[in-house]
Amino acid sequence: MNYFSPTVSTEKTHLERSLKQVQQEVLRMGTLVEKSFRMSHQSLFSRDLDAAKKITSVEKSIDKYYRQIEMDCATLMTLQSPVAQDLRLLSALMQLVRDLERIGDYAQDLAEMSTKLIKYEPHQCMEQIKDMSEHAQFMLATSLVALADLDAETGKSIKELDNTVDEAYEELYNFLAFQENVPGVIEPILLMGLIVRHLERMADHATNIGQRVAYIVTGKIN
Amino acid sequence: MVKLQFFLGLTLGLGICVWNHYRWQKNLKGILNSFSSLDDRAISLPPVYLVRREMENLREESKLIARERDSWQRLIDQAPIGYLLVDEENQLLWCNQQARILLKLDRWRWGEVRLLLELVRSYELDRLIEQTRKSQQPQTKDWTYYFTRHAILKNSISVESNSYFDSTEMVKAIALSGHAFPLIDRKVGIFLENRQPFVDLSRSRDRATSDLAHELKTPLTSISLVAENLLNRLQNPELRWVEQMLRETNRLINLVKEWLDITQLETSPLQNIQYEQLSLLELISSIWQTLEPIAKKKKITLITNNQDDFLIEGDKSRLIQVFLNLLDNAIKHTPKQGKIIVDINLEPKTLDKSTNSPASPLAIIDIVDSGRGFVSSDLPHIFERLYRGDASRSRASNFSGGNGLGLTIVQQIVQAHGGSIKAKNHPQSGGAWLRVKLPQKKSGRI
Repeated sequence: MNYFSPTVSTEKTHLERSLKQVQQEVLRMGTLVEKSFRMSHQSLFSRDLDAAKKITSVEKSIDKYYRQIEMDCATLMTLQSPVAQDLRLLSALMQLVRDLERIGDYAQDLAEMSTKLIKYEPHQCMEQIKDMSEHAQFMLATSLVALADLDAETGKSIKELDNTVDEAYEELYNFLAFQENVPGVIEPILLMGLIVRHLERMADHATNIGQRVAYIVTGKIN
Repeated sequence: MVKLQFFLGLTLGLGICVWNHYRWQKNLKGILNSFSSLDDRAISLPPVYLVRREMENLREESKLIARERDSWQRLIDQAPIGYLLVDEENQLLWCNQQARILLKLDRWRWGEVRLLLELVRSYELDRLIEQTRKSQQPQTKDWTYYFTRHAILKNSISVESNSYFDSTEMVKAIALSGHAFPLIDRKVGIFLENRQPFVDLSRSRDRATSDLAHELKTPLTSISLVAENLLNRLQNPELRWVEQMLRETNRLINLVKEWLDITQLETSPLQNIQYEQLSLLELISSIWQTLEPIAKKKKITLITNNQDDFLIEGDKSRLIQVFLNLLDNAIKHTPKQGKIIVDINLEPKTLDKSTNSPASPLAIIDIVDSGRGFVSSDLPHIFERLYRGDASRSRASNFSGGNGLGLTIVQQIVQAHGGSIKAKNHPQSGGAWLRVKLPQKKSGRI
């Protein structure tokens, strides 16, 4: 029993090492995206305006990672000419970081909306929206785990989780859109409409990530 | 003739044989000498036996070392502190039980080598490791680790994360403190401490006190109003008593107000700062003007060595509060005809460790008085709430203010600006030396 130095296959090709590095960068970016999603959640539902202000710098680093990873993938593809799964991995990662970056963008948008929404009393819908946001975060976490494990099954299963978010979106949309005799200004309602839309999009991007993971492993697009 | 040749050949052969044997033995002895630490080699055993004995010893020793290592490993595995070992490529080589609990590493299997980021999605932990490897210096960092639940189909071990519709929260937070150490081969070892109990405790303590402060505010205000009304209707000696009562009540009201202020600043620092462009020199000279009446009484002079001005972004009224407090303290502790030195400098550009981008330059403001300085045993505590140093700093000697919150507020404001404050005694004059560092530009911190 040796805890400290388990057998490590030391001989790795340059390509293998570079792939691992890119994967690590993507995961790193994933943690940041998760973080910004969490911060947008805090700013919306705990009315934590500090989180809303801090999110900008997180968003900047996400952008930096996004550009860096895209460059790295392109370089590896052209210089190392990978084949089969490696090639699938690189091309899928390139699109996957785009999904991640979009989620980060939406998170920043949500935080901005929260600064506008703070002027109004919390709406009765907020609880439901909170559940929706939590579920979307849960989907993102699952997709990131699937990516880390390169687990096609889990990747595909995220599509089913998306149904919950879609239903919640439908329900909230109907509730918000078909209200009558709304007292006062409609800004909070407008904002909430946008928020549920954003959350729905974020969940879609998380689903995409899951699909791409399945593609990396199986090579099939469905 | 043939016989002679035969014997000659035989002797030559034997001679070479003996010589070879002798050389071999000498070699063996040489090896023994260089490897073994046993000093009873004088025993005239043949070297081959000595070598065999030596091998036995070494084997025993290595067994002993292995046993010892195993027991250390078991010890670390059971330790109440989390431990992670990460190799050069950020792969997790080993983690102990506590680390698995703290970071919820339920997907890690023993002996498996995977990227740490695949198992723990924590940007802060990743940065800590990176910094430690880069600087090759031990690093410490406090952060809050969030664990978002996920649905993993294959997961058989953890029941908790499988059934995601149970009542527990979606996102769990735990306050951690990480101590990372650089090891050989660019490996990094990290100890993880659970800060959550302390955070909970101090939060509940602070909440209790600020609730109390809230409760005290209203009755105190009405007491002071009543006392003020009474002042006009009373004669001595009652008048004197009520005056004293009013004084004490107002002191309490101030204390309560400042306490609430600190709590506000602490819970949401960024919201309480309104940034604008400020000239540091102007700010300090205007504050000195308001303090001048008190300073003149003690004939204290202010010395600023600065010719050029520094512009910074900050909250004007908050920064006035900071420097008013610091200069007021300095005046209080400076003897008659003493002097107070204020020095403003700009720290050269440094790299921000976390983002690796050039950080905003820092303005450094030094305030040195010519008093007796801090008592060294007080120094670690002076920024704590309600802390009072020795008798000369206690409220008995200066009735005018000093409720023990002044420096705490100063620190909170400076930190809310993204700066820092340090207190020590000046090595030459021995007076109290406060160094405030403020970022020149509004900083966007993660």
